Amino acid sequence: MLELNNVEVTYSDVILALKGVSMRVQKGQCVALLGGNGAGKSTTLKAISGTLRSEDGTVSAGSILLEGKPIQNVEASEVVRAGLVHVMEGRRVLRHLTSEQNLIVGGHMAPDAAELRRRLDHVYTLIPRLADLRHRTSGFMSGGEQQLLLIGRAVMAAPGIIAIDEPSLGLAPMMIRDVYEVLRQLKAEGTTFFLVEQNSAAALSIADHAYVMENGRIVLDGPADKLAQNEDVKEFYLGVSASGERKSYRDIKHYRRRKRWLG
Amino acid sequence: MVYFINDVITGALIGLLYALVAMGFVVIYRASKVFNFAQGELVIIGGFIVWFTTLELGLNLWLSIPLSLVLAGVVGYLIERIFLTRLIGESVFSMVMVTIGLLILLRGVVLLLFGPAVRPFPIIFPLKPLFLGDMLIPMNLLIGGILTIVAAVGLSWFFNRTRSGLRMTAVAEDHVVASSMGISVKGSIAFAWILGAVLSTIGAMIFLSGKSLTFLASEIGFAALPVALLAGLESIGGLILAGIIIGVIQSLTTNYLDPYVGGSLGSVVPYVIMLAILLIRPTGLFGWRTIERV
Repeated sequence: MLELNNVEVTYSDVILALKGVSMRVQKGQCVALLGGNGAGKSTTLKAISGTLRSEDGTVSAGSILLEGKPIQNVEASEVVRAGLVHVMEGRRVLRHLTSEQNLIVGGHMAPDAAELRRRLDHVYTLIPRLADLRHRTSGFMSGGEQQLLLIGRAVMAAPGIIAIDEPSLGLAPMMIRDVYEVLRQLKAEGTTFFLVEQNSAAALSIADHAYVMENGRIVLDGPADKLAQNEDVKEFYLGVSASGERKSYRDIKHYRRRKRWLG
Repeated sequence: MVYFINDVITGALIGLLYALVAMGFVVIYRASKVFNFAQGELVIIGGFIVWFTTLELGLNLWLSIPLSLVLAGVVGYLIERIFLTRLIGESVFSMVMVTIGLLILLRGVVLLLFGPAVRPFPIIFPLKPLFLGDMLIPMNLLIGGILTIVAAVGLSWFFNRTRSGLRMTAVAEDHVVASSMGISVKGSIAFAWILGAVLSTIGAMIFLSGKSLTFLASEIGFAALPVALLAGLESIGGLILAGIIIGVIQSLTTNYLDPYVGGSLGSVVPYVIMLAILLIRPTGLFGWRTIERV
């Protein structure tokens, strides 16, 4: 469904941020992209969704295929029309609009009013809290509610694939649980996900397949359950050492030495 | 007392005319974050188009007015395509400089095409004023005021209730988020310029009906500036109240204070209000205030 082949991304014609990234998302799958700060996860997502341009970035090599059609360097609006919606990090709701107006904007491509209404009802069934907050100005909603709204807004577009960036970032554990519960329900409905997360434990709990990224490269990939058992992933991304204990911050140099995939 | 009420009503109607021109500012600013300093020149271009179709081509008003609005829309579209579409995402400073350049260019084009001669403008609205007892209300301003209120209510409904309008409102909030939802930012901005040019042309018809047409009439663009800033640059509905406030204060100052200070205070007072509002409440009475979660 979504395929990246040796994708390179350059910012301002100078900074090479992605160095030959290849990955694949099959229909109905949830694929997670894990990695630390600055690994290139969000850049990968922006390259897919066409929002790189606003940051003076460009896909300088390789190809990105959505349902077999190349989408690298096309306008973001064209990518949405092709069936991929990007939920951006930082809870970018339309702050001065109400929750329901945000949802209507999300579903603006619905063929008619009846279909728009049907999609709204679907979102309110999926996320009942949004029904209660429909007239609330979205800028005044809590962080968790805004994240749920963004997911609802993406669902309103009835996309083939939802690419979601850091859905748990800055949220309380209870709220992370609620957000992932909604994602689980969507997955059960057959929605395809491309999930970019630093919260590896949460991402691996829902993903079918996962890729690990470091310094603009994919360094590891495999089925999510196997990656969750991988010693390196456990140590570097789940914060658990081979002995099952959490590492002391004192041993950070030891962490660095063990990152053998960088060697 | 009757004269006082008459001055208040006339001031309110003039304020509504400013609000109509300011509506062009606001529609363009909402979509593109461009503060169009050439809005007054759009009024003049609209005025010359109406003059050309009505008096030069000799078309019937029922034909020339719709044709003029279409032609004004085309001019707005071309200005956006030629000068502004490449500036999406650029700094506010670049945008401001381009609209100031546009102001000078459009003045030059008007002078080049039509010369500095004063021309008669067609009589679009009845010249005979409306008499309400001892009060006298100019008919063009009365019809213009009603048109402004209808336009403000219609556009508020469009921007807040319809899918197309909400698309444009999303563009007004955040270009990147809007495009990530499949909204054509360029299309929305182009439509805003078309709408801005059409509103300016309607303003020209009300302002100039039965008067003289010269490029000096572009000053109405600057007169509308305080109204746009008082209302808040994102608020269409707020323009009505802001227009009435500015218009009434200007009218009362002109009629009751100017005789004591030797004149001109009436033309200055809207800008004093503008400076005060920028200092006290920079987002205006109804503009979007920054919402930051901490």
